[in-house]
Amino acid sequence: MALSTTVSQRKLIKRKAPRGFLKRVFKQRKPHLRLETNSDLLVHLNCLLLVHRLAEEARTNACENKCGVIKKEHVLAAAKVILKKSRG
Amino acid sequence: MPCAKLGGCGLERRLRERSGCKRTRFRTRPCCSPEAIPQPVQRALLQTPSSRRLRSQTKMTARHCSHRARSIDRLAHVQASGHLEEQTPRTLLKNILLTAPESSILMPESVVKPVPAPQVVQASRQESGRGSLELQLPELEPPTTLAPGLLALGRRKQRLRLSVFQQGVDLGLPPSQEPHGNADASSLTSSLNLTFATPLQPQSVKRPGLARRPPTRRAVDVGTFLQDLRDTSLALAPPDTVLEDTQPFSQPLVGRSPSVHHSLPCPSHSGAKDVERAASRRTWSSGLGLQNNGAGKPAPFLAGKVEEVGALAMGFPNISSNISGEDVIEPLQNGVGEEAEERMEESLREVEKAAEAQGSARAEEPEGHIEVTEAEGSWGAVEAKEPEGSSGDEDTSGRTASPELASSTPEFLRARRLQFLETAPPPSTAVLPSEPPEPLSARLPPKPRIPGSRPRQDPYKTGLNHYAKLFSFYAKMPMEKKAVEMVEKCLDKYFQHLCDDLEVFAAHAGRKTVRPEDLELLMRRQGLVTDQVSLHVLVERHLPLEYRQQLIPCAFSGNTVFPAQ
Repeated sequence: MALSTTVSQRKLIKRKAPRGFLKRVFKQRKPHLRLETNSDLLVHLNCLLLVHRLAEEARTNACENKCGVIKKEHVLAAAKVILKKSRG
Repeated sequence: MPCAKLGGCGLERRLRERSGCKRTRFRTRPCCSPEAIPQPVQRALLQTPSSRRLRSQTKMTARHCSHRARSIDRLAHVQASGHLEEQTPRTLLKNILLTAPESSILMPESVVKPVPAPQVVQASRQESGRGSLELQLPELEPPTTLAPGLLALGRRKQRLRLSVFQQGVDLGLPPSQEPHGNADASSLTSSLNLTFATPLQPQSVKRPGLARRPPTRRAVDVGTFLQDLRDTSLALAPPDTVLEDTQPFSQPLVGRSPSVHHSLPCPSHSGAKDVERAASRRTWSSGLGLQNNGAGKPAPFLAGKVEEVGALAMGFPNISSNISGEDVIEPLQNGVGEEAEERMEESLREVEKAAEAQGSARAEEPEGHIEVTEAEGSWGAVEAKEPEGSSGDEDTSGRTASPELASSTPEFLRARRLQFLETAPPPSTAVLPSEPPEPLSARLPPKPRIPGSRPRQDPYKTGLNHYAKLFSFYAKMPMEKKAVEMVEKCLDKYFQHLCDDLEVFAAHAGRKTVRPEDLELLMRRQGLVTDQVSLHVLVERHLPLEYRQQLIPCAFSGNTVFPAQ
């Protein structure tokens, strides 16, 4: 299992899905429901894609403001857009 | 000329050129069945002349009556063998033909099929290959015998053919010793064997992963000690002991403070005893550990304690056997709130002083021992070392404490943890090789049940942090701390929405379990999965291989699909 992969950014990114964490969160919110094994991974995939979109949007916002650093406001605005879009 | 009736294929002409007298016989047949011609012709392209001949012959035979085919097969085999290694395949085939039972009508087919199938390699090697395959058969499991059958037999029931083929193979085993030496044959067989060994490997690989703990530490005395335990235990409820041993840190037993005190000294000294016993390699001490139903725990516990308690192992032989229930109970009643060192001392003393061994004491002690060992491990391996001369506190405790032992050991552990958490957690935890202490120390922070925030925040935050780090990675730009917190808030909200949606989807499907189909529907609604982009594409893009394998069904060798659907 690839616990972490060294990236060109010198950061160690964990590619492992926090399956226990996801399962626990789901159990805490919906104790009457059960989460299947593989759907756990798909939830992780969903989160990854969400984070991806959020990051893209935040980066766009920051670049528009000609900022070299992503600030809280950029993230907030990005979150508004993305969460609205991914409401389904 | 009958040759003219055959197709104008050059191969056929070549065949004719090399034809022997026997060929003429077969040439006429293709005329009867023109369909037979192209196939042998095609095959001839791939193979050596002998194999061509064989093939053409066998093909023709296959088309005809079984009895005729049989005779033809025999002839084919004879002819083929003539071109193979000297005598070995011939004798082999002859033996097969002579000894093979005639009842099987499929025999010719089985003979025919395997012949054309391995012909892909080389005709000369076929017989030797088969022979070496036969040799391999007894070594390998039945699946390997399926190899030739699977290879060759496409038409009918493979099992039937295999049995038939196996008979012939087995019969042909003795004379097939010689082709064994053939390098090609061995390579062929090895290659064939390899292909069929692969499906076995994943199964065999799985097993070592499951066998986590070596069961070798179990001592022989468990049975006797268990008996003693049962005999002497008065109020010891087996479920309690089971509960304690398997889950020494179980929470439900926390509430009994008075009993905890009693149990404190007892387990402490009993634990020391256990450690020492382990040091001294006493079987019964290990049995004690085992009695606690902690199975693997006490044993590794004891093993780990050996180092620390080595000093204490001196007078233990006497003590261990002599520990009585009273002695055990005595330390219980002693000062509960004292430091662990004192307790350890007491326990050690008790151990040493226990001159009169008693089964009942032993029975109770084992439970305490294990708890104590655990407690020791977690808090004070060092403490255990010091107190050699335990005081005679043992005498004070009474029998009544013993029943409390069993039930209160987990509580005791609890209390000890809470008390000693600040005192000496790190060294003991580091020393402990066994599992219970480690999860114990790890669980300690959330253990103190402060209602609300504490247990909720830590693991929750770390999980969100994981995704926040991914966010900063994907953004490829430096971020402020506040922005990261913002991301975590968004994730929190997103999780809420996600759970709600999944609940709705599952309820819509009349289920109470969330399945991957619900997830797919969710992603479709979010616009991530479209008609152009399917879920599998997304999985392949973003998830690592191990998860991909679990999510996307893939065909593997042996006609299996994983994950099964």
